[in-house]
Amino acid sequence: MHLPPWYLYAAIVLIAWGVVGIFQKLATNHISAGSTLVLLIVGFLLFEPLVYPGSVLFHYSARALAYGLIGGFLNNLGAWALFAAMESGGKASIVAPFTALYPLVVVLLAPLILHESVTLPQAIGVGCSLVAVVLLSM
Amino acid sequence: MSARNTLKAKWLWYSVFCLACWAPFTFCAKLGLREMSASGMQFLFTLGGVPVALAVLAARRFKFERNRKGTAYGLAVGVLSAIGTLALFAAYRTGGNTAVITTATSLYPMVTVVLAVGLLRERLTLIQIVGLVFASVAFVLFSL
Repeated sequence: MHLPPWYLYAAIVLIAWGVVGIFQKLATNHISAGSTLVLLIVGFLLFEPLVYPGSVLFHYSARALAYGLIGGFLNNLGAWALFAAMESGGKASIVAPFTALYPLVVVLLAPLILHESVTLPQAIGVGCSLVAVVLLSM
Repeated sequence: MSARNTLKAKWLWYSVFCLACWAPFTFCAKLGLREMSASGMQFLFTLGGVPVALAVLAARRFKFERNRKGTAYGLAVGVLSAIGTLALFAAYRTGGNTAVITTATSLYPMVTVVLAVGLLRERLTLIQIVGLVFASVAFVLFSL
């Protein structure tokens, strides 16, 4: 069986983020969601010396730099909104599956923005994933 | 709760806002990675998150709970999230389909659910078992 090249990286994402779910539960047993979010970003900052790309950073186009910075800002702002939704009375059993649907927005917009198309098995797989992610976060 | 009351609920709009942030994040990452390496993207991504951390701290008047266990678990959340994000950028960088990679990697609750059974002694619900079956089918289809 020939696996696509992104498969191994996706497995690392699944394991790392899957374990995060456990630590998130444990962390918020002791500290607030706000403090957890701050520590999340501190955790990312610990890696900065390791991922510093060197002088090539100054040769990236302004557009690419903006994509990176805005991407980080939006992702963390989204995490803050998720915590805020839970703290303002949203049930985790509703908020978690609802926000986990963000790939659906990506699926709908990817052909327009990135001009990418999916094969039929991939499309069915995407459908199964979306059902799975809602069921799993309930 | 009636539909009208739900529409007035703050949590709903926070959730919508969350979706409105995470979907464009994916496009920013993918478009940026056309030029940058995964580590370059991770470096900038982290810097982009710093204002959010500062805003959260400022809203709390820079008060931070001093709880060793909570801090250790919180840092573990950060370190593991960073590893996962770097791998996500590497996956996008391979040139694979963005919609497929995004949906495949969004299946991480399946690992949490399975680990919660082993580590936190939680029980799988029937809904979660059905979810795991759908996730497994998806992975087989993605490998075709």
